Amino acid sequence: MTYVKNRLRRTMMFVPGNNPAMIKDAGIYGADSIMLDLEDSVSLTEKDAARMLVYEAIKTVDFGGSEIVVRVNGQDTPFYDEDVRAMVKAGVDVIRLPKTESAAMIQKLVKDIEHWEGEYGIEKGSIGVMAAIESAKGVLNAPEIATATPLMMGLAVSGEDYTADMHTHRYPDGRELEFARNMVLQAARAADVYAFDTVFSNMKDTEGFYRETNYIHELGYDGKSLVNPRQIEMVNKVFNPTKEEIEQAKNVQNAIREAKAKGSGVISLNGKMVDKPVVEKATRVLETAKASNLIDEEGNYIGE
Amino acid sequence: MEIKTTAVAGTLESSDIQIMISKGSNGIEIDLESEVEKAYGDQIRKVITETLEKYGLKDAKVKATDKGALDCVIKARTLAAAQRATETQDKPDLEVL
Amino acid sequence: MDKVVDLFLNDSSTRKKWEQLLTSLGLHDFSEREVNVIDHTIGLVDEDGNLVGTGSVSGNVLKYIGVKNDDAEQGTRFNKVVTSLMNYLTQEKIFHSFVFTKAKYAESFEHLHFNLLAKTDQAAFLENGTPDIQDYLHDLPRVEDQANKKIAAIVMNANPFTLGHKHLVKMASEENDLVYVFVVANDVSLFNFDERMKLVKEGTKEFSNVKVVSGSDYMVSPATFPAYFLKTPDDLIGVQTAVDAKVFKDQIAPALNITRRYIGKEPFSKTTHYYNISLAHELGPDIEVIVVKRLEKDGEVVTATKVRQLIKVGNLKEINKFVPEATYEFIKQNMDELQSRIEKGMNINGN
Repeated sequence: MTYVKNRLRRTMMFVPGNNPAMIKDAGIYGADSIMLDLEDSVSLTEKDAARMLVYEAIKTVDFGGSEIVVRVNGQDTPFYDEDVRAMVKAGVDVIRLPKTESAAMIQKLVKDIEHWEGEYGIEKGSIGVMAAIESAKGVLNAPEIATATPLMMGLAVSGEDYTADMHTHRYPDGRELEFARNMVLQAARAADVYAFDTVFSNMKDTEGFYRETNYIHELGYDGKSLVNPRQIEMVNKVFNPTKEEIEQAKNVQNAIREAKAKGSGVISLNGKMVDKPVVEKATRVLETAKASNLIDEEGNYIGE
Repeated sequence: MEIKTTAVAGTLESSDIQIMISKGSNGIEIDLESEVEKAYGDQIRKVITETLEKYGLKDAKVKATDKGALDCVIKARTLAAAQRATETQDKPDLEVL
Repeated sequence: MDKVVDLFLNDSSTRKKWEQLLTSLGLHDFSEREVNVIDHTIGLVDEDGNLVGTGSVSGNVLKYIGVKNDDAEQGTRFNKVVTSLMNYLTQEKIFHSFVFTKAKYAESFEHLHFNLLAKTDQAAFLENGTPDIQDYLHDLPRVEDQANKKIAAIVMNANPFTLGHKHLVKMASEENDLVYVFVVANDVSLFNFDERMKLVKEGTKEFSNVKVVSGSDYMVSPATFPAYFLKTPDDLIGVQTAVDAKVFKDQIAPALNITRRYIGKEPFSKTTHYYNISLAHELGPDIEVIVVKRLEKDGEVVTATKVRQLIKVGNLKEINKFVPEATYEFIKQNMDELQSRIEKGMNINGN
């Protein structure tokens, strides 16, 4: 497995690192990314065992094309060094650092990864990093964190710890997370990295889940962190492009093709210039549509 | 490698295996409980034995309670128990896996 | 997914929820005798925050395990509760555990690698981990050609070892090739296990064919037998005796070729008398139970209970009449300590 900077990342499913049953099945749900957790979901006495289990799983379990992210323990814990070493050796795609508060922390992670890549003869740059932002300080430093390394994959808001740090807790309306969500998203966009929203853990409240997912999609988030596989389909539904968006994206691609055929440097569609953001959006829309089976191989719309 | 204490790793939950390792003097003795003993008992014992031997344990008593674990889980749990039993869990020996 | 949480039973609302769950699962005995000895309790909470499972640990014994299986896959919750109790024990460096439970649950525990030590129509007694009963039996002393010898056993608490005990051992020693004296290992007596063991050894050293050994966890004493799962606490003695006898008969006696068991005739206590009768019933016909009349001194039956009462009042002269030299010396040296244990609340009226 190798880290790919740009890919579809609508859903990042959390899987407890000490639970063989959940790890074994993690690949069958079609999550874009799977986050195997060595941190919060693993009790202090099981850190060593979970690390070995996740290591073995990455090497042997078929995760069905999902990107594999591992959340290691924080840099202030005695588990961090061995976590990073084991995950580099296992060949994980991305390492997620919890409680990130500065660019220096990410740079340390990159240095540690590079050290073990050297040790194990793995090509440098084959593992990406991402930062979990879980505190006021982390939110305020989001811009420097997002640009800390070219290997940065993205930033994720972690609502539980952040709200605790802010002397509040999660509310259904999400107002307590407003600033953090916007700040992290701005930082991610400015640095051209991905942005992930926090988990929504009340499985009974489907309506609340859709409300929150629609909201973060509207803000511009790339994806959402999930605790339950049942949420994958729900997120995908929200992130699915409309038929009109797909038609528009196809037109953009056709315009590019035509311009190329003509050897023209300027691409236009319906009298407007097609510039980089428009091209990128079209690519994203078609990628998503394809992943959700909304278009066939030739790009024909096959959704309902 | 010397066993310093009895140690356990793994759980009794589905797809897992619980491994208890204690001092032995008669090679690797495995007492296995598994619902798939008939079909996979030998394979489970083989994975446990190979993992322990690779780690450098020649004598050990092993009590294994299997709940349908894949080989990779058996390996990981066996090594975790072995490193706890030798009090070396701070220095995971990933080469064994 | 269900979550495992620590439960603190001294919190009254927690205690209430815990009792409600167990009551709904058919457990009703929440007496102090059962609950106060609990060291740790865990709970299983479902996604809506309801308590759907629990289990407790008391020393190396698992207790009060119960799960609601309404909407969970069979066994999942049970396995989760037992796993987390075993994790707790592991952290406490306890690798050998026991469970006394309703007979119908024996199989659930056997699936988790608990080995059945004894099962009666009401109760099952199982163990898990290491060292187990095979290790225990393997380490007991043996003599040459043991299978062809006449071998007897005596189980005693010896709290403390008296001339009455010695009389019993002497008779067995004379009538058999080898005698195992199993000293009950539970530490709930005025004389602790090491002291009792030492005094039995010293008091029997003149008999060359007597081997004094620890009863380990395999002599099921009424003092520690959990009764919470019984239909009524009145069943305690009957069930405990049956379980104790079964372990002895099925596990211990065959491994050591024991064919006889010596017990003292009970002159006072109705419970002990009843125990003796049912013990004979449970052990027979494979094991012959020989009831020996109690030794009397100056017209008085020698009992350890009497010796303890004399310790309480400090009557060394009277004690000397009932105990062998080693026991007397020990009591004399440690009179203050023993009396202070009694003052601190050690019960001296049991056996």
